[in-house]
Amino acid sequence: MRRFDDDPLAPGAASALRALDAALDGEAVDPEFAALAELALILRQERPAPSAAFAATLDARVERRFAAPAGAPQAPDRNRRLRWLAPGAAVLAGVAAAIVIATGGSGPGAVRALAPAASGGVSSTASAAARTAAPSPGALGPVSPTTAKSSASGASSAAAAGTPGPAPAPVPSGASSAAAAGTPGPAPAPVSTGANRQIVQSAQLALMAEPKRIDDVAQQVFEVIGTEKGIVNSSTVTATGDANGYASFQLSVPSANLQATMSALSELPGSRVLSRTDATTDITGEVGGAGIRLAEARALRTALLKQLAAATTSEQITSLQAQLHDADASVASDLATLNGLRNQVAYSRITLTIQAGALAVVVPGSGSSFTLGRAAHDAGRVLVIVAGVALIALAVLIPVGLVTALAASVGLAIRRRRREHALDLI
Amino acid sequence: MDLPPGRSEGVIGSEAPAGEIQMQSSWERFEALYRSSRDDVYAYVATLLHDRGAAEDVTALAFERAYRRRMTFDRRRGQERAWLFGIARNAALDELRRRRRVARLVAEPTDEREGGVEDGAEVALRRTAVRAALAGLTPREREIVALKFHAGLTNAELARVLGVSETGAGTLLYRTMQKLREACDAKV
Repeated sequence: MRRFDDDPLAPGAASALRALDAALDGEAVDPEFAALAELALILRQERPAPSAAFAATLDARVERRFAAPAGAPQAPDRNRRLRWLAPGAAVLAGVAAAIVIATGGSGPGAVRALAPAASGGVSSTASAAARTAAPSPGALGPVSPTTAKSSASGASSAAAAGTPGPAPAPVPSGASSAAAAGTPGPAPAPVSTGANRQIVQSAQLALMAEPKRIDDVAQQVFEVIGTEKGIVNSSTVTATGDANGYASFQLSVPSANLQATMSALSELPGSRVLSRTDATTDITGEVGGAGIRLAEARALRTALLKQLAAATTSEQITSLQAQLHDADASVASDLATLNGLRNQVAYSRITLTIQAGALAVVVPGSGSSFTLGRAAHDAGRVLVIVAGVALIALAVLIPVGLVTALAASVGLAIRRRRREHALDLI
Repeated sequence: MDLPPGRSEGVIGSEAPAGEIQMQSSWERFEALYRSSRDDVYAYVATLLHDRGAAEDVTALAFERAYRRRMTFDRRRGQERAWLFGIARNAALDELRRRRRVARLVAEPTDEREGGVEDGAEVALRRTAVRAALAGLTPREREIVALKFHAGLTNAELARVLGVSETGAGTLLYRTMQKLREACDAKV
């Protein structure tokens, strides 16, 4: 479709237009266009002129650079208000993006990187073993399989035994059990020692170590137990150098050192925690019963001794000696039972397993210290997070910007159309 | 601020050497544009609105808007004078929309020189015929007359204000003049 302004000038039109300009400039015009020139001059004479008062007023405003006279209120400028529309829309879009990011954080597609990284070189995947309460004290089995597959090559075992010392047993105010598994969350508070409560504590810990470092980690376990004055009841270490590597320990540590020991074992260099379970059992009743039985046995023995002293016949003496023998056995048995219970309270059992596997994030020998490698890793994560946020923001801002631009374009077109339509109202 | 009478002398920014233009501040350029265009803008707006009071308001508004936007003017997109008349045209059309009032070109404004003693009967007759012919034009044709003969725009400036090509503006002007001339001849 051809537009009218694409058409060339009609023949003679260019000459007529030149004659018009010449007439307006006061120059001579070809007689052919004399009437046209006269018409142009008449039209120019019809030109309205501003009044002197208006001209003076406008001159003064221009001199003031359109500033309002002193004391006069500044007229609102619509364009000035509209000038804030674009930045305002951008800010709104940014806020909307932030809200989207914040509310979307809990969804499956959320930017998981926003969560703080696990410290101590331990990958957050260890949290797969969520904290769960143990249903009962009897359900405190080890999390990992306890059957050790010993291989012929490189297998070694170590066992140590000792008599428990007279360490005071921690006695909590609460009763029976509490168990939790998780990594490497804050260690549970030490069991409080009440006046008469007798509490047995136990724990299970499952670690993962690189296949070639099973031996190293196992050796560190021995060192930790030695430091904490504990006992390695039994151990099995299978170092195959591959994924079949495995180690298990049955440990006893003074109950007062249980939490320190668990913390040390959870932070062994070259390993990470897979799961951890802490449990307690209140045996106050059992200890009390054993004590009462022991006292009764001792009282019976004392009474038998008195009767023996007063016996006069050989038959009485023989009978009393037999009863005394039984009483001695009973006292010994009850004493052993009581000592066993006290030993359970004084020493806590730890079941530790180490299995071979690839560590997600391992910073050898770093523990929780700051290293350049970790800093670079953190920096990389920060960059990924920033890029993700920027991407999400762009995903919001670009459509918003396009819609805004489209709306502005349509608005301008409508405004222009209305303006042009205003001419038709004249 | 004394202004030269009659038609504008032109635009300083468009006729001065490039180096000189760059030396001018935005305020100096605006002031020169104002000096050269004040009466032309008023004449165009008054013709379009057919109301002297409204024309004064719109003229002042147009210059104020031009002053506020002077930093946004892009010389590569056209001459300052055409840019200024574009602003004035939008302001005048907005005023027309606001008022929703029909303005007839030939009824107003009255010219102080109308019926002057120097005008002879033939000239007065001719002028009356021209006014009557103007009344027969469409609003858009009357706007072209106002821009060309009252505001003193060149064909290029006319094209830029109306948003058409220079050839298109010339064609519109030529057709309008032909129509006007035929109407005048018919009246006389």
